[in-house]
Amino acid sequence: MDHRIICNPTYSALEVSLNPGEKIVAEAGAMSWMSTNIKTETSTRGGIMAGLKRKLLTGESFFQNTYSAEGGPGEIGLVPGSPGDIVSHQLDGELILEKGAYLASEESVKCDSKWDGLKGLFNEGMFALRVTGSGQLFFNCYGIAEPIDVEGEYIVDNGYAVAWEPTLQYQVTKAKKIRSFLFSDMLLLKFQGYGKLWVQSRSPRSLANWVYPFRPQQSNN
Amino acid sequence: MKINIQGEGAFASTLVTLNPGDKFVSESGAMYRSSANVDIDVTKKSRGKGGILGGLKRLLSGENFFFSTYETNDGQPGEVGLAPTHQGEIELIEMDGTTDWMCAGGSYLASSADLEIDTEFQGFIRGAFSGEAPFFLRVSGPGPLLVTAFGRIVTINVKDEIIVDTGHVVAFEESLDYELTKAGSSWIQSWLAGEGVVLRFKGQGKLMVQSHNPNEFGGTLGPMLPTR
Repeated sequence: MDHRIICNPTYSALEVSLNPGEKIVAEAGAMSWMSTNIKTETSTRGGIMAGLKRKLLTGESFFQNTYSAEGGPGEIGLVPGSPGDIVSHQLDGELILEKGAYLASEESVKCDSKWDGLKGLFNEGMFALRVTGSGQLFFNCYGIAEPIDVEGEYIVDNGYAVAWEPTLQYQVTKAKKIRSFLFSDMLLLKFQGYGKLWVQSRSPRSLANWVYPFRPQQSNN
Repeated sequence: MKINIQGEGAFASTLVTLNPGDKFVSESGAMYRSSANVDIDVTKKSRGKGGILGGLKRLLSGENFFFSTYETNDGQPGEVGLAPTHQGEIELIEMDGTTDWMCAGGSYLASSADLEIDTEFQGFIRGAFSGEAPFFLRVSGPGPLLVTAFGRIVTINVKDEIIVDTGHVVAFEESLDYELTKAGSSWIQSWLAGEGVVLRFKGQGKLMVQSHNPNEFGGTLGPMLPTR
């Protein structure tokens, strides 16, 4: 299985070449183009419960699609929902992904939800996505993805952490010397431990907040 | 202090390396990552002059009312990553202290704590017509200043006169005079052309413009959202 990430970092797309018999799994809706000999198989991968958990708890798709080439090599283009980087990661073990970050993987990689605790309420949700196994994994983000080797402690603003190794734990904290609590945007995630952490350089929430005043005003009558 | 602009084009961000004693300021929402030894002090205090009045003026300006100040707390170097909201570039202006810079609403990202930031009243009429807040931020003193934009930033060396649509101004040297004027030969023609009011800059100095207009983008997205 050959892959290329094209048009990065702003409008990254993942192009995968499959030989007959090779397979790639992707979140539903990611397929943008493919050769006509690519066979699509839609399943919950692990049963209805697994699909439901994925959908309800982590915001990923209920179904995942498995693509395979039949009768000859084929190509498929997979594109995430937002502009930004796609990170190609050789998974061996476990990785935690933030909501919506999963794009595609080899079949040997399993997706499951991970209870993030109530602290998740302050982050992206109470459940994160846990990917396990060994194989190629692709995840995406909004903006540029930057890997950080955490040694001890590192602070990330709410909504900017994309993926991290399970050796890292985080807690929700406040800016240390905060004089004004009025603008409570300063909830921060403090990662502790030793491991790799990926952050993104833009926040969809920040953009959504900016767009908010442009919404039409509800009329009174 | 080392300022490193990471990523070109749509998703630029800034990584500032702070040595012990260095202080850096940004608009309060810009910090997205930092080493654990960095203190973040959110304050409404403007640099230097300003005080309460400065804060009030900024509140009126619709600008982010608060600034964050960053410094390390353990005598070791630290780092702070700063990111704007919009897709776009970041430009570093190394101010030498001789000329002040004026930043349009939303384009101020960060600066050295040595720089003074003040809010400049444009006049309500001017402000209302420019479609931006009726204030510019005036930045003065020697030190680095970071501005951000929606899209690409183009720097123009104004030698005589130039006309820029109000929504595309990022920042300019205050050696330039500016006035609001109509784009066409008459006001009616201006409105019909969809330009309405433009800014006419005169004199000598640097002017930064952005390739896209955030308000236009907001105007495109807003109607697709539920009412508030």
